[in-house]
Amino acid sequence: MVMRSPVATAIAIGVGLIVLLGYLLPLPVLDPIRRLFLDWSIILAAVAGLVAILNLFKAHWRKISSSRERDYYSLFFILGFILTAALGLLFGPTDERVRPLIMSIQLPVEASLVGLLTITFVVSAVRLFALRRSWMSGIFLASTIVFLLAGSGVFLTSGTSQVIKEVLAALNILPAAGARGILLGIALGSVLTGLRVLLGMDRPYSE
Amino acid sequence: MTDTLWSLIAFVLTLAILSYAIGDNPLFRIALYTFVGISAGYLAVVLIDQVIFPRLITPLVNPSTASGVMAIPLLLSLLLLTRLSPRLSFLGSLPMAFLVGVGAAVIINGALFGTLFTQVRAAGLSFTFPQSVSSGWITGMVLLFGAITTLLYFQFTGRREPGKGIVRPAWVEWIARIGQGFIAITLGAFFAGVILASLTVLIGRLDFVLQFINTLVP
Repeated sequence: MVMRSPVATAIAIGVGLIVLLGYLLPLPVLDPIRRLFLDWSIILAAVAGLVAILNLFKAHWRKISSSRERDYYSLFFILGFILTAALGLLFGPTDERVRPLIMSIQLPVEASLVGLLTITFVVSAVRLFALRRSWMSGIFLASTIVFLLAGSGVFLTSGTSQVIKEVLAALNILPAAGARGILLGIALGSVLTGLRVLLGMDRPYSE
Repeated sequence: MTDTLWSLIAFVLTLAILSYAIGDNPLFRIALYTFVGISAGYLAVVLIDQVIFPRLITPLVNPSTASGVMAIPLLLSLLLLTRLSPRLSFLGSLPMAFLVGVGAAVIINGALFGTLFTQVRAAGLSFTFPQSVSSGWITGMVLLFGAITTLLYFQFTGRREPGKGIVRPAWVEWIARIGQGFIAITLGAFFAGVILASLTVLIGRLDFVLQFINTLVP
């Protein structure tokens, strides 16, 4: 079997092992190399982000210039992008002339989208229970209702009995236990994925 | 005057986004595309202004720093930019390999020391002697039991049986079912938290809309 992109694989394994050993072993020689590699990776991550944004711009540009599947909405993307990028590069991202774009366009739209989630979530929860009536969806819905009530603060009044408060405190342990299990599962999965990359079994960078 | 104009823009965009509640419409799409364009443009500016210039360009231009060493990230960055061209994109695999290698090491370190060890240590805290009161023990036992059963739910190793596929032992199946219950409760609690948070934001937006209408009405 011919190994695909052996140079790239060697770089990933070599650099990854040096950084990992720099974290795990208290060797003075490894620490500066680890810091240097981390600094470089921050730069590369920024450039990768820029490449992703430019690719998005290219895709929208293609959409408005294509005669077959022209999408006029992409024009708003292009206009918004060029205006913000031009002003931002000219005056800097924190300038008074750039801030209204963020405060009056980005922030209200972002907040409205989050607000819209309320409606979407409630509708999808009702649909879930209507379509899949299993014991799992029943527990999920019951838990949602209980924690919605608990989070809304209706039990925080002085009239609430001590028993209800004790029950709520006990109920709070259950999601904490599940969350710990899920967190441990994610951590184990992350370690496994990282090791697969460092052993060259997974090569998400190759063509 | 300028403030009123910007408030009017925020008001129109808020209504355009909230109009999605009655169905997908052109106003919603215009607001969304404009938002994505502005966000992408702003993110590009922040990346250039806060990372690429101070960390890459300035050390290269400044002769007092080790410019020679910075030639390597410059070369890797230029190779990464070839990803924009379909013909040259194969050159971008080298900086991507660098990024993935460092990322894998950082993820392993973060998962081990940030989550795995700290969570295992926290699971045992309820059983340590200074806190070993009965309520602490019960809480600790529930937390430990929930964490173990949740983890066992994601264990899919079993025996292959004809016509049934992979079958887990009966005791694992039972414990996994309890774990499934814990997962359902946890996701329900998270879901409730997200609904409450988004509801708070929605109330904030509706309050802004009402306040803006009030400023228009004399």
